[in-house]
Amino acid sequence: MVRALERAVALAAKDLRVEWRRREVLLPSASFGLLVALVLGLTQGAQPDRAPAMLWVALALAAVLLVERTTEREGEEGTLEALLLYPGSREDLFWGRWAALVVLLLVLGLALGLAQAVLFGVRLGPGWMRLAAAGLLASCGLAAVGALLSALLLNVRGGHLLMPLLLLPTCLPVLLAGIRLTEAALQGAPFGPWLGVLVVFDALFLLVGPPLFAAVAEG
Amino acid sequence: MLTSPPVVAEGLGRRFGRVVALRGVSLTVPAGTCLLLAGPNGAGKTTLLRILATALRPTEGRARVCGWDVVREASRVREVCAYLGSGGAYTALSGRENLHFAADMAGRPRALANRWLERVGLGSVADRPVATYSLGMRRRLALARVGLLEPAVLLADEPFVGLDEEGVGLVRELVDEVRRRGGGVILATHDWDRAQPLGDRVLVLRDGRPQPQEREASAGALW
Repeated sequence: MVRALERAVALAAKDLRVEWRRREVLLPSASFGLLVALVLGLTQGAQPDRAPAMLWVALALAAVLLVERTTEREGEEGTLEALLLYPGSREDLFWGRWAALVVLLLVLGLALGLAQAVLFGVRLGPGWMRLAAAGLLASCGLAAVGALLSALLLNVRGGHLLMPLLLLPTCLPVLLAGIRLTEAALQGAPFGPWLGVLVVFDALFLLVGPPLFAAVAEG
Repeated sequence: MLTSPPVVAEGLGRRFGRVVALRGVSLTVPAGTCLLLAGPNGAGKTTLLRILATALRPTEGRARVCGWDVVREASRVREVCAYLGSGGAYTALSGRENLHFAADMAGRPRALANRWLERVGLGSVADRPVATYSLGMRRRLALARVGLLEPAVLLADEPFVGLDEEGVGLVRELVDEVRRRGGGVILATHDWDRAQPLGDRVLVLRDGRPQPQEREASAGALW
């Protein structure tokens, strides 16, 4: 158990350190997300009540880019095989990749959220903590699906093209829950059943994700 | 000393769609020995090594590494086996960071990683990003990564590429250490002159098939 945790932490720390040095995933993803938010704002109107939906659509599209690039980078440097051949359970690799993705998605969400708040003139008010909780839960779910898909698409030709096709539909519940919870947080209304949807989604993917990742990576 | 032979394979084969990359390979690597794998490009040498390392599943036959089945007990195989392939390093990280990561992933102490950095001659550049390393330095880093795993079975694919004479000496030391521990080595190479002194036996592959014994003696001609 301790060894598994150490391996997961080592992988997550490595992923984040590489990203900090190269800044080739977060920056382009955030820029892309911001562009999507701007285009949506310009075409649909920048009213504050539309901000939650536009934020989450922008975040979901940017997350696709982020997950895809994080996965691809391992293949480009020829380090994937060595990573898979280290002794130990491959479930640890899922947890490591998941943890790194959660951190990256949280930073991405924070950047896009602040940009949206300025662009759409949204006042966060006292609901920011509930918003942060919803963002954390959504990031955990997105990261779990992303980590799982990263193994599924390891040996698939054109896997980077399949990533959005699989990630977006699978994460639709997260997207919808994120929008509803953000609306509720901004209006000071109760979270309602969407919080349960997000919790169940996270629990499901964090439960089946690791063994499925290990089985798929085994080929 | 191992109780089972380091490597045993029976009728091992691998297809990629319609292409047969490997067929009917049976071999045994006894404890304390090194098998040289020879053959022209595309003969199936890398495929064979990757199957034994559990990076690839065989489509026919079976193989055991230290008694563990490479398909059903792949995670056990990975605990005793190291694959030295063409795999790279994280170029944004330093040599030390790369090796510390390898130590963390393999459950080895970081002090051992530091010792290996010195041993392969990278001690003075250990904190430089790998992006600034030459090919030879990257190969030495790969040697250090495999060395710190202290494997019972070493599968080395073209280990001499990019190395100077000192680097070749490191490969020889690594092979000797595995043999002294009672493990086994399979070394695939085109560099006959450097490989010959290390090998106890030779297996020649051509078009994915093992060649008859009488051709082994002239393996050098196939490199």
